[in-house]
Amino acid sequence: MGKNRWFMALAVLLILALVACGTKTAEPEATEAPKAEATPPPAEEKVELRFWMHQNPAFIAANEELIRRFQAERPNVTVKLESFEYDLFIQTLQTAMPAGTEADIIEMFGTWVCSYADGGRLAEMPDSVMSRAEAEGLFFAAPLQGYDCSGKLYGLPNEFNIENGAALVNPAMFEGAGLAYPPKWETMGDMLADAQKLTKFDGDVMTVAGFHNVSGDGLAFQLLAGILQRGGDYWKPDGSGLQLNTPEARATLEWMKSLVDEYKVVDPFLFNDDSNWVGDAFFSNQAAIAFIGPWAAAEGLTEYPDMEFDYAAIPNYAGDRHYFAADSGWGKVVSINSQHKELAFEFAKFAAANADNAKTWNVTTGTIPALKSVADDPTLLEELPWIAPDLPILQYGRYVGSLPDRDLFWYDIVYPHVLGVLQDTETIDEALAAIDTEANAMFE
Amino acid sequence: MSAFVQGVQRRWRRALSGPNRAKSLFVGSALTPLMLYMLFWTLLPAIWAVVLVFFKYSATRSGGSILGLGGDNPYIGLGHFQNMLSDSLEAQKFRISLKNTLIFAFLVLPLNLAITIPLAVAIEAVQQRLKTAFRFVYFLPTLTASVGVAIMWGYLYHPQQGLFNMVLKALGGSPKIWLTDPREALLGVPLAMWAIIFAYLWQDMGYNLIIFIAALQGVPQEFKEAAVVDGANTWQIFWRITLPLLQPTLLFVCVMTMLSSFQVFDIFQIMTGGGPKDYTRVLVLDIYLNAFRFQRMGWAGAVSMILFLIVLVVTVVQMRLLRTRWEY
Repeated sequence: MGKNRWFMALAVLLILALVACGTKTAEPEATEAPKAEATPPPAEEKVELRFWMHQNPAFIAANEELIRRFQAERPNVTVKLESFEYDLFIQTLQTAMPAGTEADIIEMFGTWVCSYADGGRLAEMPDSVMSRAEAEGLFFAAPLQGYDCSGKLYGLPNEFNIENGAALVNPAMFEGAGLAYPPKWETMGDMLADAQKLTKFDGDVMTVAGFHNVSGDGLAFQLLAGILQRGGDYWKPDGSGLQLNTPEARATLEWMKSLVDEYKVVDPFLFNDDSNWVGDAFFSNQAAIAFIGPWAAAEGLTEYPDMEFDYAAIPNYAGDRHYFAADSGWGKVVSINSQHKELAFEFAKFAAANADNAKTWNVTTGTIPALKSVADDPTLLEELPWIAPDLPILQYGRYVGSLPDRDLFWYDIVYPHVLGVLQDTETIDEALAAIDTEANAMFE
Repeated sequence: MSAFVQGVQRRWRRALSGPNRAKSLFVGSALTPLMLYMLFWTLLPAIWAVVLVFFKYSATRSGGSILGLGGDNPYIGLGHFQNMLSDSLEAQKFRISLKNTLIFAFLVLPLNLAITIPLAVAIEAVQQRLKTAFRFVYFLPTLTASVGVAIMWGYLYHPQQGLFNMVLKALGGSPKIWLTDPREALLGVPLAMWAIIFAYLWQDMGYNLIIFIAALQGVPQEFKEAAVVDGANTWQIFWRITLPLLQPTLLFVCVMTMLSSFQVFDIFQIMTGGGPKDYTRVLVLDIYLNAFRFQRMGWAGAVSMILFLIVLVVTVVQMRLLRTRWEY
């Protein structure tokens, strides 16, 4: 009996502790138009906003500058920036949110936003800060749609995340191979002909990939763009799931496979995410043309200041328009638990919708603007010359869509199966069937 | 309840009076911080993991009002365990991870013992100064951070610039893609898994080696001398005297090695990330990916429970098989 009492006491203690450590229950939020805070802080009242982001030196520098400007405009507001190493950032979000201890403002990748918003973790943007219609006029559709969940806006994008349309190129290698530089490829065949001449072998071992496109991000983006450029769609007509076992998908995989078997410009065993990630391969002179987003060029300028490289437009995979799927991009959202939601959204608007500030952010981070007026700014290319190939195709970008789990689709479904095709461990039929089945299982 | 409170008070009074007072206070003050630490950082998370097993829980969803359980994070009972037998993607990955974990653990243990026991006997046989040097050299990798070990071995296995391929080429062989080629296998085990096993053994064996050396020093010399008098040779002394007397140590080493093998994460995460084709995806990596990349905390909790049960069963079986009823 005595022992039972001790167990009961211990159980009560544990339950109390669990409750104490547990969720700070979010107040029920109005599902209609969000209201402004009941008691907005008077202008002179000191307010501190916490701002969380992932650790990337360029992104930190950009946000610090915007914070400095915001604080200069609002002397009573302090924005405290806290950054986390990338993996830790995601883990911290997932542990802090249930406990209600996350920051007021969070720099979030657009494609994650609806997962958190639909789960009730994020605050809806008040119309008093910016209406959805207003935002649609200011931002490109692809990045904005990542922040638009079931018709409600949950933040604003700074970046138009794009992986298609251009590639890193190494001028020294072009010169070494006696190829014209800068490259002016009219067709994909032209680019692959150059890539073949740029590919190097030591015996049977490929030492330089002429065209390295085998990456977790790259393969999925190429598959989706290939489908769109061939006139297909990867979403079912009713939007209930994905259709990836289609003739357009097959043609795209056949083209990818031809890079390995026919053109021999990449070895999928030596050049893939696990063995030699595309960015590392390029900046260590093991890839002459590297399929990756322009953000890699910005990072390369910082990390490899002595290396000569450019970011060159690559032709369409098929068709005459460079249609592609885009992954929204980094932007600002506000926690449902913030005590200063409206003020936090004001900061998001200040950072993303003000042309000067948005341009500063894009220039500092080296990313493509989500704000149309910044992309149209003729001075932008003076500061970000490498994004020139991407700007003309932004109009053909569409948001990848509201996937239940973006990372699962990219890294655990598309990448392993397409890699399996490239490595000859799966047939195209098997891979497409598996991708289609596994992708649609996400919606169940 | 009042009787319970009175009982507690009575026990406290008894403990805090008389000759035991100082002892009780010392024990209490020494143990309380540790117990609180264990309670909050070990027991509570473990209980939370058990709770999550019964929910389709994701930290991205706020869920119900009690700890975020219910609502968007619904109660599904034993649904995760039933799902483990299905053809769903996560179930397939779980089964692959389970198989890989078992392959890893059951290869690491015998290989570790096959290296460390003879090595310990050899080191024990050399003179004291050399013995200290060997112990230091072999134990050094154990002190190295796993991340550093994984990165270093990753370079050694690098297909173009790695040491192993340089040696292979120098010997006229063809270079291998050690970590990322799903076609390469040895004895039915993927080459990438072997590559990680050897990197892991390099780091882990120093620990067991030190334990075996210490145990060898505890083996009474008289037994060996008696065996020599009876005409036993070195091999017979090792096989019939030394090894049986090492059985309690062997039990400890087997249990600890098996436990750590089932829990290995960082070396897999850094060297292969689970590839190629999931051939090195182990349970802890699967748990990590589900919990933090795919936001399936409930599922990750269920896989953790399975891992816990496997470790428990394997440990109990080892303890049954290797237990001794004697001391020396």
